[in-house]
Amino acid sequence: MSKHPLQFLEVPRRDPEKDAADVRILHYDEIYGSFDAADAGSQAGRCLDCGNPYCEWKCPVHNYIPDWLKLIEEGDLFQAAELSHQTNSLPEICGRICPQDRLCEGACTLDDANGAVSIGSIEKYITDEALKLGWRPDLSRIVDTGKRVGIVGAGPAGLAAADVLARKGIRSVVFDAHGEIGGLLTYGIPSFKLEKKVVRTRREILQGMGVEFVLNTHIGENKSFLSLLDEFDAVFLGMGTYNYIKGGFPGENLPGVHEALPYLIANNCRELNASLPPFPYVDLADKRVIVLGGGDTGMDCVRTAIRQGASSVSCVYRRDEANMPGSRREVENSKEEGVRFLFNQQPLEIIGRDRVSGVKVIQTRLGSAGTDGRRRPENVVGTEKILPTDAVIVAFGFSASPANWFADFDIGLRSNGLVKVGGSDRLPLQTMNPMIFAGGDMVRGSDLVVTAVFEGREAAASIAQYLGV
Amino acid sequence: MWEPREPVRQGGLIRYVHDGEYHCYNPDVIAALQTAVRSGDYAHYERYASLVNQRPIATLRDLLRANPVGPAVPLDEVEPIENILPRFDSAGMSLGALSPEAHEALAIAMNRLGARSNSGEGGEDPARYNSERVSKIKQVASGRFGVTAEYLVNAEVIQIKIAQGAKPGEGGQLPGHKVTEMIAKLRYAKPGVALISPPPHHDIYSIEDLAQLIFDLKQVNPAALVSVKLVSEPGVGTIAAGVVKAYADLITISGYDGGTGASPLTSVKYAGSPWELGLSEAHQVLRANDLRHKVRLQTDGGLKTGLDVIKAAILGAESYGFGTGPMVALGCKYLRICHLNNCATGVATQNDLLRSDYFIGLPEMVMHYFRFVAEEVRILMAELGVRKLEDIIGRVSMMEQLPGETRRHGRLDLQAIISDCGIDDSQAQFCSDPHNNPFDKGELAETILEEVLPAIEAKRGGEFRFDIRNDNRSIGARLSGEIARRYGNHGMADAPMTIRLFGTAGQSFGAWNVAGVNLELEGDANDYVGKGMAAGRIVIKPPTGSRFETKDAVIIGNTCLYGATGGQLFAAGQAGERFAVRNSGATTVVEGAGDHCCEYMTEGCVVVLGRSGINFGAGMTGGFAYVLDLDRAFVDRYHHGLIDIHRINPESMEAHLHHLRSLIEEHVRHTGSAWGNELLDDFRTYLPKFWVVKPKVADLDSLIESLRAAA
Ligand SMILES: Cc1cc2nc3c(=O)[nH]c(=O)nc-3n(C[C@H](O)[C@H](O)[C@H](O)COP(=O)(O)OP(=O)(O)OC[C@H]3O[C@@H](n4cnc5c(N)ncnc54)[C@H](O)[C@@H]3O)c2cc1C
Repeated sequence: MSKHPLQFLEVPRRDPEKDAADVRILHYDEIYGSFDAADAGSQAGRCLDCGNPYCEWKCPVHNYIPDWLKLIEEGDLFQAAELSHQTNSLPEICGRICPQDRLCEGACTLDDANGAVSIGSIEKYITDEALKLGWRPDLSRIVDTGKRVGIVGAGPAGLAAADVLARKGIRSVVFDAHGEIGGLLTYGIPSFKLEKKVVRTRREILQGMGVEFVLNTHIGENKSFLSLLDEFDAVFLGMGTYNYIKGGFPGENLPGVHEALPYLIANNCRELNASLPPFPYVDLADKRVIVLGGGDTGMDCVRTAIRQGASSVSCVYRRDEANMPGSRREVENSKEEGVRFLFNQQPLEIIGRDRVSGVKVIQTRLGSAGTDGRRRPENVVGTEKILPTDAVIVAFGFSASPANWFADFDIGLRSNGLVKVGGSDRLPLQTMNPMIFAGGDMVRGSDLVVTAVFEGREAAASIAQYLGV
Repeated sequence: MWEPREPVRQGGLIRYVHDGEYHCYNPDVIAALQTAVRSGDYAHYERYASLVNQRPIATLRDLLRANPVGPAVPLDEVEPIENILPRFDSAGMSLGALSPEAHEALAIAMNRLGARSNSGEGGEDPARYNSERVSKIKQVASGRFGVTAEYLVNAEVIQIKIAQGAKPGEGGQLPGHKVTEMIAKLRYAKPGVALISPPPHHDIYSIEDLAQLIFDLKQVNPAALVSVKLVSEPGVGTIAAGVVKAYADLITISGYDGGTGASPLTSVKYAGSPWELGLSEAHQVLRANDLRHKVRLQTDGGLKTGLDVIKAAILGAESYGFGTGPMVALGCKYLRICHLNNCATGVATQNDLLRSDYFIGLPEMVMHYFRFVAEEVRILMAELGVRKLEDIIGRVSMMEQLPGETRRHGRLDLQAIISDCGIDDSQAQFCSDPHNNPFDKGELAETILEEVLPAIEAKRGGEFRFDIRNDNRSIGARLSGEIARRYGNHGMADAPMTIRLFGTAGQSFGAWNVAGVNLELEGDANDYVGKGMAAGRIVIKPPTGSRFETKDAVIIGNTCLYGATGGQLFAAGQAGERFAVRNSGATTVVEGAGDHCCEYMTEGCVVVLGRSGINFGAGMTGGFAYVLDLDRAFVDRYHHGLIDIHRINPESMEAHLHHLRSLIEEHVRHTGSAWGNELLDDFRTYLPKFWVVKPKVADLDSLIESLRAAA
């Protein structure tokens, strides 16, 4: 044991260098740099190797974090990449966009001490570096089972399922309506958080593992779902959630009021030099912008607006800062980039005659906890005011968007429109139709990349069991 | 079969891994408990308790269900938590293992609850005596670190730790980097030098020896209850019966689950036995032998919730020890890195920064924990239809074995555990005698005390004379206890009294001796002379007119000066085996010694003016010795592990020369030893035949200086 037990005290937590705010808002590149081997090693060496690895426990895919930290400390990059891929299909992506401060790093024993181990940055380093140096998943010992699975949706859930199936000797074909894989990774999440070349690299890796992608193919429109059931031994659905939740207040349909996701998708497409007809590009240069909602999508919108050159960007949120659902890190980044936060403000109405001119808000305070354990905001009478603005982006999240053909195939839904899976007489993530499995946002409601990955992986395991391999 | 499609599983036997081996203190359990004790909200505790009480079957008690004895009773008719809390002890965890902050927070919490905390091995800062930071249970473990009369009289319970459930048969080791200035002071050792607690007590080789130690403790502190901590193992019932007959007031049956994070990996698994086995056996054997009413029975080892307490009560325990639970309440996250001194929660470290900045524990958190457990006990009692905990102690008919979750569970036969063995109902189920008083009333000790007490109270010294016989045991201990209670270990140094005794002393002559007590025995003494001596002087010489050569005759028995922390012993004759084992401060001159002399010694100075036996200085990490080696064979008899030996060069080592000479002079002055005289007369000839024996890590030139500094 060469390791020095007090390394965590002597070496403070460090993250890779971040571009200065005034520079990074001029482009859409990722704002964080990368560790080099020495930094990664010394940061990894801060790990205490707890008897109870809270990081691993909290991680939705239960990454073997202390083990790969140790491998990195010892400089065994390929072994670390191998181990990292044992539990996660998209580690370099999760390393970038997981809300680590709420998951592994938030649970890290050192988070209560002098700063959690920089797990996310090391996770990203492992796969980025290993791939650069030629490492590839080793499937040479896997024997093809002859089984084939069709996957609808090339988002994180679908990709994870394809990855695990390939490792089990099951070939899969992934269909997606879009022209590039990734789902929200490519079209929703802005590239300053996740550069699109990362997704492209992952596509090459998956293709190298035998996964086939059939893109620009909308199941139910340009190809029937029935044909999938005919062609494949089982089907996995990872189609996401695309119903935008509305605020339900007057003025939401005024010109100048935009939905968050179409706004982001259109902007991403411009970056990708692609075009997706239903999403017109919205340019907020020189405009005063108000974003409603304090989640991660809201953070992506404010920062995109800043990069478009908006004259001012404010985020209006009905609870206080401590109760924001989004990642602390992203709130911090937004503040650095010049976003103004208006906490404890409940929007009541969007004002404007033929286009938006302002948002009427009322002040709130936190009342008693609701059923979800979070304290509900209550309006304070007589504190209404109007915030003038040129554009409003509504980022209140997404609800289920079940396809109209689900019922034809016995794909049962819960009352909220999410797909019903599992239960006592079903395998985990198996739908009411035994041949069909589902996972990701369409099952759990809009959530995280890592949870979608988890469900894709679990579903793949269930599929293998269902197929008897 | 090797299946390339499946990755190699991580296992998680030692360290928790999701989907691997179940761990009772897994992250969910720890997080739930910490949330509960920080909020003080019983609803949060219920979440913790249900995680524990509904875990997959992990222990024998998970296969047992307690059934109601009648209709449920209203909760307000069940005895209040104030009746239950005094039954809770925190388990012995040493200061040294724990940070002072954690150790004190635990003591404060237990004292405020009306329960008791346990000092663990390693002494206690006298500043904590008579305050709410005091540990009411003082532990006497094999290392005897810091065990002095003053330490013992400041206890309500004195616990003899025979072994630890999690690692039976193993000693302990406090790694050097955890031995800070303060720890070293309390343990009478040197900072930075590892301290070894030997596996056995060197003064206990039989049940009679244990009885002797119990007697020693009852002499020094007659008010205290003496407890004996045993390990759950087959046959523990027989041992427990012996321990009651040795006059213990309390017995703890310790189970394997009390695994500390500091246990070596080899003892984390497959060492020790569940307390369910040992407790039920002890309870049954004690009842069968009409002994149960004489002793309180405690169990510990992985107790976590009120349900655990209920089940332990039904299996026969009336008192309950908790180790890890209160630690977790104080912020411990079960990192299992306690031995590295880098505990990031500041609980198990001596690192200043970690202690001051990262320790967040408060007594209130521990208090919340125990109140919650006691409240859960009440709620369960109400459901079971009983109003007092006493009503279910030993009531095994309430217990039912469950089929379990697997076929193997179903094949276990636990009937032996939940049987009353056909013992008559009239036999007690719990202790009713307030004290288990020894048959030996220690009459001589009382006589001496009566005569001497006025001199003690007036602090005026004096000289007293008594005859002594070999059945007068632990003479001196009673006296030292009374002095320590009034003045501490050293408070009477300026008013010494001399007690002259004539005859053969029984065992433990001069045990727990303190300053102001100078015992001068003309005759000889049995085993354990000067055991646990802190100060004062013991002189033993043959009766005037004896004709034998002192250096060829044994004058004191085995295991003398065991665990002594100071004082002087001069004996004109040979000492038996294991002389000065675990000496941590006494200075002594004898004229020969048996095997294992100076084993595990940490401080003090031992002069042997004659042959000494094999294994000299094994595990010796401090102090030094001068050994006369007339047959030039010492080099084959000392233990080469931790010590080295040197000749005394009269030119360059003048300090040693003078020191040795003055010790022999003192020996002659007190004992009149003819052999001592001869050595002095011909000192030039004998000097080159002496060895200085010292730990390899110690510096030859500073030995004497550091001895003075420690004194
Ligand atoms: C703006 C934004 C920012 C986010 N930021 C983060 C973040 O920082 N960190 C994080 O962890 N999570 C973030 N999330 C959430 C995360 O992106 C999603 O939880 C995750 O992508 C869900 O994965 P999925 O595979 O279930 O669905 P999706 O990623 O939505 O993928 C579904 C795919 O299915 C395709 N599809 C749907 N129906 C059909 C059909 N009929 N035929 C063919 N293809 C079809 C879609 O085109 C899409 O490509 C963010 C979400 C948004 C909207």
